[in-house]
Amino acid sequence: MFRFLIRRAIGALVILLIISAITFVLFYVAPRDPARVACGKVCTPETLALVKRNLGIADPLPVQYWHWLQAVFVGRDYSSFGNCPAPCLGYSFHNREPVLGTILDRFPTTLSLSLGSAVVFVIFGVGTGMLAAVKQGKMLDKVASSASLIGSSMQIYIVGVVAMYYLADQWHILSRPKEVPFTESPSGWFTGLLLPWLVLALIFTANYTRMARSQLVETLSEDYVRTARAKGLSRRTVFFRFAWRGAMGPIVTIFGLDLGVLFGGAIITEKTFGLHGIGALSVKAVGDNDLPLLLGVVLVAAGAIVVFNIIVDAVYALIDPRVRLA
Amino acid sequence: MSLSRRNFVIATSVAAGGSMVLSACSSGSSTGKKGGGAGHGGADKYTGSVVVGTKADSTGPAAEIPGAKKGGTIRGIAPDDFSHLDPQRIYFSWNSAIGDLFIRALTGYKIAADGSMKLVGDLATDAGTMSDGGKTWTFTLKDGLKWEDGKELTIDDVRHGIERGFASFTTEGAGYAQTALTGTADFRSKYKGPFGGKHLDSVVTDAKAKTITFKLAEARPDLNFTLAMTSYGAVPVKGDTKDKYDKDPVSCGPYRIKAHSIDKSMTLVRNPHWDPNTDSIRNAYPDSFVYEFGPEALQSADRLIADDGDDKYAVMAYSGVPAERIQKVLTDPELKKRTFNGLLTGIYYYAINTKRITDLKVRQAIIHAWPLEQIRKIYGGPSAGDYATSILSPDIVGYAKDDVYGKLKKPQGDPEAAKKLLKEAGKEGQKVVYAFPTSNTYNKTKVVIENALKAAGFTPVMKPLDSTSYYDQVQQIDNQFDVMWFGWSPDWPTGYTLMQPLFDGSTIANGANNISQLNVDWVNEAIKKNVVIADPNEAGKAWAALDKRIMTEEAPIIPETFQRRFYLYGEKVGGATFHPLWSSAVFYKLFVKA
Repeated sequence: MFRFLIRRAIGALVILLIISAITFVLFYVAPRDPARVACGKVCTPETLALVKRNLGIADPLPVQYWHWLQAVFVGRDYSSFGNCPAPCLGYSFHNREPVLGTILDRFPTTLSLSLGSAVVFVIFGVGTGMLAAVKQGKMLDKVASSASLIGSSMQIYIVGVVAMYYLADQWHILSRPKEVPFTESPSGWFTGLLLPWLVLALIFTANYTRMARSQLVETLSEDYVRTARAKGLSRRTVFFRFAWRGAMGPIVTIFGLDLGVLFGGAIITEKTFGLHGIGALSVKAVGDNDLPLLLGVVLVAAGAIVVFNIIVDAVYALIDPRVRLA
Repeated sequence: MSLSRRNFVIATSVAAGGSMVLSACSSGSSTGKKGGGAGHGGADKYTGSVVVGTKADSTGPAAEIPGAKKGGTIRGIAPDDFSHLDPQRIYFSWNSAIGDLFIRALTGYKIAADGSMKLVGDLATDAGTMSDGGKTWTFTLKDGLKWEDGKELTIDDVRHGIERGFASFTTEGAGYAQTALTGTADFRSKYKGPFGGKHLDSVVTDAKAKTITFKLAEARPDLNFTLAMTSYGAVPVKGDTKDKYDKDPVSCGPYRIKAHSIDKSMTLVRNPHWDPNTDSIRNAYPDSFVYEFGPEALQSADRLIADDGDDKYAVMAYSGVPAERIQKVLTDPELKKRTFNGLLTGIYYYAINTKRITDLKVRQAIIHAWPLEQIRKIYGGPSAGDYATSILSPDIVGYAKDDVYGKLKKPQGDPEAAKKLLKEAGKEGQKVVYAFPTSNTYNKTKVVIENALKAAGFTPVMKPLDSTSYYDQVQQIDNQFDVMWFGWSPDWPTGYTLMQPLFDGSTIANGANNISQLNVDWVNEAIKKNVVIADPNEAGKAWAALDKRIMTEEAPIIPETFQRRFYLYGEKVGGATFHPLWSSAVFYKLFVKA
């Protein structure tokens, strides 16, 4: 296990390095000049050069990238702007603060949104899928399958807006999304995020219902399940000890990836509900031509996916004894 | 109001409106009357008229607003945070709108209930004294001015604010005064700012008399307008943290910043050391302002339509009612009561590249052919704005509603008149390359423009350009475009701020704003002549006359619209009025209703 983790960690670092380099290059090949924006209305060549020096973009691209990479490990002093201690993911001249600080400031919102919705969609999705698998071919199965089909074809930017309009503005059943720190008011935190959780869960639940159902139906027809039944084990034991564990592998894989994506920022959800998480931050960074911030967000998002991939691989082996970490 | 940022906002606001033009089109056309402002559902009066006030006008306190009372919290909802809080780095009007709460400059605008403005002394006792034909300006500081820490605001602090505009970290701000003081647009090569202990020779202060005198390299009879820009706000010499000041500025206005979470929220509370007797411009009724950043226009509008909870005390702070909701808001009397509106400063237009379209008759034919009505329908109909037919916008001193090409009579375009001119010029079938930034809105206006040009006998070639690099591309001297969408917002309401950057031939350069590339001797001379006319009214008339002559004899642009914006506010908000310059609410006039 230890060797597995070390190997995967090294692989993750390489992936992050490649992603950072690609992001850097992509940003600079785009036909835009962040210095021009900060140069003012009457932008002389001299002023433009000054702004480029201020923004740290006067050097050749490889040199800029090298400086950025160095800063991750040893930090960097941005002269008059301020010091960025290691691990320094860059300094946002637009926000006037180190990138990592901004990301950490936004992370609680993303974390709350991701975990809260994950609890809802895993419980409801997997639960409904299990019931549908057990009641295969019956009314419950048909309703669950149809509902999941409808759910998976919905889009957050439509469901979210409609839900907000009716549930919050017109009928006042739920409150409009609001960011209240958990430490400040657990009830405010809960009610403020309930609507985004439910909408996000509505979309995701459908996938888990379908996945859980199909996996369980397939597993229930496996030889080892039939063998367990033939040995006289109870239906409950067969279901939870053998079938359920066997079916969970692919679901855990998808869950890990979904959680990684959500931790990297649920862009549309956050924008739809006006939440200030990592996703909204990434959109803002693009709009502001804020390369340091964009790079930081991309790396955090990529890092989340990579980390969850590793966790999924490890958990996979624990759930399914047929899998061994090579 | 920097070009790029300002125009980006202009572009985005139009794009936002155009994203659902279909719903607005029908109502727009059904209520629309051809021509000026009628049918837009907003105020019919142009609100931006400005005069220079007297010393009495500059003396505080500001007139009380009937029914207003102190207390409570006003909430602002905006999609974006303020990009800068350091006065010398503020150019964008959204930042200036909030800057009014904690930044003060030598002069400022006193805004009446009807939206008319008076230029008055803000930190100064009056709007300044000009001598030497506009090459020397003197201002006297008011008594009783203090910073938020209780320390006296001195004439040195005023000078410091001006001189900071030369520093290497204040490039985002305005450069007009610096250029006038040094005689060059590359003013940083002449002076590096006050941090080395050196002051500008051309700015003379007298601490005892509390005066500051500007000795300009060039005559600038409207320098008192220039100095009303937020970029020339005072900064305390002893509290200046240079680059870091942008995060934590010191207030000399009625409010100070208590908390700011970038891109999330900002809270301002009363500055106990602000004396209303020193301020003839600002009321300060609420105890605090809380700004929430993030919600897009549609979300804000829906929240204020619902008018629930804290949103009863909220106002759409910068992003107006989007086209998706404008008809709902304007046709519901209860909602309409909770709106205010006005025209955005400046003008949207299409620049004709005079270096490529050299024949005047062809340029005139393009203007005749241009389908203003169809374009405005796409923007949302009459509620989206009024047709523009001149270079000067209604908020400019001296504005005259000229219509050289009869566009108000035929806003849908006059293909016959265009064909006739093309025939006279021998240019039937003339190719016209039209460049526009890609967006939902401009992709739609492209279609009606293409159709109109074809109907008028042109051969149109459409060139969509990436919106993020649009200005960089059209501002190249050797670009290959004949007609380019553009917008311009003046920095203060005199003709100079439009005519000089847009039509002075000496400004033609890569990255410059004279994208028509008009370089005509009589125009250049007239600009030089008009800029030194001391009497603002006479200057206004001269700029209006030049406007008409340029449009008649040179036809370098196709004026499009003076755009209108509607804002919603909660039922507990009082005093909501439109700021004629910042195109937002006048925040310091807002109050919480009982």
